[in-house]
Amino acid sequence: MNQMFTALPQAHLLLRKAEIYSLLDQICQALELTAAQLEAARTSYEAVAEWLSESDNPLLKWIDIYAHGSTGLGTTVKPIGREDFDVDLICKVLRFTADRPPAELKRIVGDRLKENARYAAMIEEKKRCWRLNYAREYHLDISPTIINANCGNGGELVPDKKLREFKPTNPKGYKALFERRAALMPTLRVQKALAAEDRAAVEPFPVHGTAKGILRRTVQILKRHRDVHFLEVVEEIAPISIIITTLAAQSYEYCVKSFVFDSELDVLIATVRLMPHFIDKPVVNGRRIYVVANETTVGENFAERWNTEPARVAAFYEWHAKALADLEALPDLQGIDVIGKSLESSLGSSVVRKVMDARTESISQARTAKKLYVAPMVGLTLSSAVHATPVRSNTFFGD
Amino acid sequence: MFLRANPICAGIGRLHATGLIWDYRHRPTPLSREYTMRIKFQRGETPSVFVTDPDLSALAGGRPLPHVYHDPLRLCLTLPGTREWAGTMRIDQTFVPWATTWLYYFEEWLISDEWKGGGKHPDATDDERYSRRVRRATR
Repeated sequence: MNQMFTALPQAHLLLRKAEIYSLLDQICQALELTAAQLEAARTSYEAVAEWLSESDNPLLKWIDIYAHGSTGLGTTVKPIGREDFDVDLICKVLRFTADRPPAELKRIVGDRLKENARYAAMIEEKKRCWRLNYAREYHLDISPTIINANCGNGGELVPDKKLREFKPTNPKGYKALFERRAALMPTLRVQKALAAEDRAAVEPFPVHGTAKGILRRTVQILKRHRDVHFLEVVEEIAPISIIITTLAAQSYEYCVKSFVFDSELDVLIATVRLMPHFIDKPVVNGRRIYVVANETTVGENFAERWNTEPARVAAFYEWHAKALADLEALPDLQGIDVIGKSLESSLGSSVVRKVMDARTESISQARTAKKLYVAPMVGLTLSSAVHATPVRSNTFFGD
Repeated sequence: MFLRANPICAGIGRLHATGLIWDYRHRPTPLSREYTMRIKFQRGETPSVFVTDPDLSALAGGRPLPHVYHDPLRLCLTLPGTREWAGTMRIDQTFVPWATTWLYYFEEWLISDEWKGGGKHPDATDDERYSRRVRRATR
């Protein structure tokens, strides 16, 4: 008897953590691009690739167009207050060599796009890429690159912002490393209190799409938190996605290899907590600089601008502390309303309401269909576990 | 006693000559608060369900609570005059799960200000006889 009473609060906490993680997972699902949207974007960029390779310019004969950034990594988050989303593409021009001017590389790709009347009507020049705007749906950002003959890791070279020189990059290597890390599975402690329960009763709501893995969800939650946190900030100081993604991936690998966890939520929180430890701060010429390196090539520092714009450093640490505090507080909150309000303020009210409403709707539908149950510990559930009691029809009355 | 045997409402109770009082603690979902509940039942009458802790009115922050009876404050879980409840039914299979759903919709109402559990209000009908019957039953 004594044992039962000491085990119960811990079991409640684990159930709550599982539920909170499932809420975060559903929020990410609501924020990411749908399979249909990704497919539409793919059709568009394959057409662009075909158009470019049919050019009379022999330099464009051999090209390789592929998605990088969040679309390639599976960490997309729809922007706040905009209907269209970015799809970042690399256009690797295989015949263009590093002894030619970077500006020419960008120009030949742009010129060929403009030869097509349809693309000419939707093209927009950005500093390092060409943007094609597909009305109200998405835009393709096409960054031309070339082979980096000096990189043993299949790296590429991309024109710098001023189009004066080529800089190393390695989107394909980056993606492969990220995918390897995302596939690492954390070790979760099996809790006796829960193992003793009916398995079906431990999962109050069936969770779909867990195949995404905790690392991708961590990155998506952090990017969303950043978008909300910096919504009212006019200066361009918010941490860029590639920094968040890189630090989260390094921290995740370290955490899953070093620790044993109680729950997925604990993995997510630990990953966020240790992220700042993966920022390198070497002293160069007597001055401390910040480095978040692309580990898959030599010479690409994602945090380059932190060294000339110190406001970005302060913004990162301030935002990170807030994100960590918000996430760390979640497991101790009690009440659907209290948890909902906390998530609304850190991740945006419309998406959180949408997810919470969908859960209420599924409970109400199950209630109407007489498929709602009350199980010990779990409370309301859609699964009829051994000790569950069905919820019979009733009509709430009174004022 | 079925209330005693059902693990969803594990608690302690007192039987007396004409009825019973059952106290238990309950969390409607893992995200929810834990509530201290009391069910009072007089043979031949409809059971009354109270939330003794936390204070529902305080949680509502001044808003009038949905679907409750007043003086004393208790949950309105069934429509009088229907077959939803009969004296032969088990409380652990009716009022206990109904209270669970009530608490779920209550916490949801706290944040959305909208009661999503459906139901009826005494003023919602123009049928005089029906209203009278309801008033009698809920007195």
